[in-house]
Amino acid sequence: MRTIPVIALGLLVTCVGVAAKKEPALPAAADKPKVLSLVRVNVTGQPYDYFRPWQKKAPFSKRALGAVLPKGRVLVTADLVANQNYVELERAESGEKIAANVHVVDYEANLALLEPVEKKFLDGITPLDVGVDTVVGDRLAAWQLEPTGALVVTEGLVTSMQMMRYPIEVGQFLAYRMSISMQYRDNSYTVPLVKNNKLAALLLRYDPRTQVLDAIPGPVITHFLKEAEGEHYRGFPSVSFTFFPTRDPQLRSFAGQTGKPAGVYVTSVDPNSSAVKAGLQVGDIITSIGNNEIDQNGNYVDPLYGKIEFTNLLTAHAYSGDSVSIHVQRNGKPMRFNLTLEHRSTKDYVVPPYNFDQPPPYYVLGGMIFLELSRQYLKEWGTNWIKEAPQRFVYVDRFQSELFPEGNRKIVVVSQILPANSTVGYEDLSYLTVEKVNGKEITSLGDLAQAVSQPIDGFIKIETHEDPKQLELDAAQVAAEAAALQQNYGISSLQRLE
Amino acid sequence: MPVPVGSARPNGPVQKSLVRITVTEQEPDYRAPWNAGTIGRGVGAGFVIDGNRIMTNAHVVSNARYLTVERDGDPNKYSAKVLFVAHDCDLALITVSTPNFFKNMTPLQFGGIPELESVVSAYGYPIGGERMSVTTGIVSRIDFQLYSHSSVDQHLAVQISAQINPGNSGGPVMQDAKVMGVAFQGYSGDIAQGVAYMIPTPVIRRFLKDIEDGRYDRYVDLGMTYGKLQNPAQRRFLGLKDDGRGILVWTVVEAGPCAKKILPGDVLLSIDDHPIASDANVELEGDRVEMPEVVERKFKGDSVKFEILRDKKPMSVKVELTTVWPYLILGHSYDVRPRYVVYGGLLFQPLNLDLVEAYQPQDLRLRYFFGYFVQEQIYLEHPEVIVLTNILPDSINTYLSPYRGGIVDEINGKKIRTLEELAKAFSETSDRLVVNMIGDGPPLVLDPKQVEAARERIKNRYNVMAEQNLEDPPIAKTPEDQKKI
Repeated sequence: MRTIPVIALGLLVTCVGVAAKKEPALPAAADKPKVLSLVRVNVTGQPYDYFRPWQKKAPFSKRALGAVLPKGRVLVTADLVANQNYVELERAESGEKIAANVHVVDYEANLALLEPVEKKFLDGITPLDVGVDTVVGDRLAAWQLEPTGALVVTEGLVTSMQMMRYPIEVGQFLAYRMSISMQYRDNSYTVPLVKNNKLAALLLRYDPRTQVLDAIPGPVITHFLKEAEGEHYRGFPSVSFTFFPTRDPQLRSFAGQTGKPAGVYVTSVDPNSSAVKAGLQVGDIITSIGNNEIDQNGNYVDPLYGKIEFTNLLTAHAYSGDSVSIHVQRNGKPMRFNLTLEHRSTKDYVVPPYNFDQPPPYYVLGGMIFLELSRQYLKEWGTNWIKEAPQRFVYVDRFQSELFPEGNRKIVVVSQILPANSTVGYEDLSYLTVEKVNGKEITSLGDLAQAVSQPIDGFIKIETHEDPKQLELDAAQVAAEAAALQQNYGISSLQRLE
Repeated sequence: MPVPVGSARPNGPVQKSLVRITVTEQEPDYRAPWNAGTIGRGVGAGFVIDGNRIMTNAHVVSNARYLTVERDGDPNKYSAKVLFVAHDCDLALITVSTPNFFKNMTPLQFGGIPELESVVSAYGYPIGGERMSVTTGIVSRIDFQLYSHSSVDQHLAVQISAQINPGNSGGPVMQDAKVMGVAFQGYSGDIAQGVAYMIPTPVIRRFLKDIEDGRYDRYVDLGMTYGKLQNPAQRRFLGLKDDGRGILVWTVVEAGPCAKKILPGDVLLSIDDHPIASDANVELEGDRVEMPEVVERKFKGDSVKFEILRDKKPMSVKVELTTVWPYLILGHSYDVRPRYVVYGGLLFQPLNLDLVEAYQPQDLRLRYFFGYFVQEQIYLEHPEVIVLTNILPDSINTYLSPYRGGIVDEINGKKIRTLEELAKAFSETSDRLVVNMIGDGPPLVLDPKQVEAARERIKNRYNVMAEQNLEDPPIAKTPEDQKKI
């Protein structure tokens, strides 16, 4: 019985090879690898529990693949190692295991580099170089492993290249879209896609129903690896403005554009961003970046890919700290700016878009649980959080740059109120936005801790945006009952401030 | 077991009072608001009361184009007309102009609130039947309920265990030959089965009193939210004794009667000299009822007097009651034509519940503006939230589809607060119309000359009978309201 799967596998690989030979017109057929460049990656992790922020949720385990790169590094997708406690590499052929560290992780580009605690663990594995020459029409081979450790190769066709939102939904990155009929295995977290024995892309997501695969492309991987060489990982540059196509002749005429249709209309510029410093304004029409002209749909002509959205020039092509020249038309007059590219850190958001590996700050006061509003918290409502989570919070998250144009603050919320002597009558209240405590504006949990320590006539007065607008606690009672509250609800610590 | 003959018809010959109402209604189409709407037919019940009037439910006669009534033992159909309709409490009065129609009919009298567990009988024409049906049950619960006809109003309702079905609507529920309520809504779902409700006589009597001046003025409201005061520390902070009295004012609606008179943070101690308990109940004629019940019994122009505590100081405040108009857009509207403006193939409509149900918008901003219209006092800046709901495609608007679902903020730099202002802005001559939507998007730019040239073409292609309807503003535009917003 044991030989049957091996035979089947052999047939499968042969068939693929034959099929590729029969169609010589197809460019760059994937070849059968001579050596194995994969390891298994086993991850145990624990997400933080934002509803009970002093604790972590039950641990999970994920099993995936990693692509072995030069210099003893292993490349995986970032979502694999999010909130990891322990990462282990496993050699496919021998089952030998070793602990590994996460060297660099970028959740926005969804890439992470792992390092085994002993470099020689990877000896004998031929590392993969990254290829960046994939074009539409190429065939890429998806590498997966059988339970036996044998390689399974499936081929697919690259059907398009486009700028796409990655899972964390911060910014847009280049992605390859492929059509592939692939077995969706539990190790499909990081599936390398290979061309000419070079790593062409990593699987981003796969829909087995439509057999459409999106992949993180070689250029994004190369950018990540180059950036990871530096002393401090800075992240991909952020596009710090929003824009709109200028297909509509009325809009072009309103913006003062004469001559041929071209460029994108700037609809907003992020506060305190490099784009503001450069001088970019709402209503400008960006006509080119560097030497690349932008058409009225927002595309430039890439030498390799053809037409693609210009944001690719700012993310994959350029690095943080680079200066790019931007040509705009303002009221019909041509102007030129130098934009110094920067990565926007999650700390620079009023409502941070994601948070992994870091415990959420919180503050418990007499049964009231305070948090800083974050999208990670909203995602506790599940995949349909946009409809399920408290709607005012979702609204504040989505429109944060409109609501708080100065930025530079956080939103403190009451997530829940645990019934206790000091909170009698308040226990049905939840999801409140804190505006003031003891008369002081609250723009962070630090502000809250400070304000709470200064009661007025023995009372702590909390003012909220939503009803009930005000809540009072007896400061002495809160202090006296703190230990009992902690014990009663098993709260390991009543606060965690940054 | 033999049934005593006398108890077989405890309510007398109800046939002599009951009528079967057939209605032909026309429901507006919010997605094609220039059309007259789809025509439907329905059957309900009604009963004769004093003054040659027939009482029924508002939802039986809503959007009616033609009404007929029939009665027991008479082969004729009589044309009827609506006298008064109260959508906020689902009651209506109709009449028949044919002389002698009421001659052989017996007007029914109203009773009080029936006792819990006492037996009541419901009369009507359920499931389209032509003969009167009677079902009996007991009074199960007396409570505040949402009236689903408007879907925003809550009033007293009595739950009964008698079966009621469509066609029972508007029929009397009787005990001891007196009307104890009007059957009006049921509930069947996953949680409960066969729950039936009737409108009790306090609500009916209020309606009959309201129309005595020839006009229905709607229910009045305080326009505020408030909460219980059960936390000892909060009570001490507010300067209250431990006497179980007082509620805390949370939000005061600016367009409501309490604006500027009652402030958030005030403690309400009594209403019309009835002490308010800290769980928001008051004692009224020996019953413990929720505080708004005091207001429920009042009429537009009546006043209530509050004893309050503001910054620990006792004060007395008198409030003249009125309808709080921003709540109206959150409920269904009936007997009105949808308001809209079509300009350059762009359809603009004010946000309200009917619109939300017709389009089911997914847009977060739109859902927020609807859901928080009153609580976040959005109506102060946008008494009507004007939405670009649809685009009738034409060469002049072919690039404008990304603006769909947007909310109009300004036109040529002028704030747009109502549909009238929108229509006016479009009618003023200018070289270019720049429509700013709320949020970060680009402006929507139109060339009035092109729009004018495309006008007849779009009207004809999409069969747009009229390019606008500005009638029936939802806003009760009394001079006081105008001052407030």
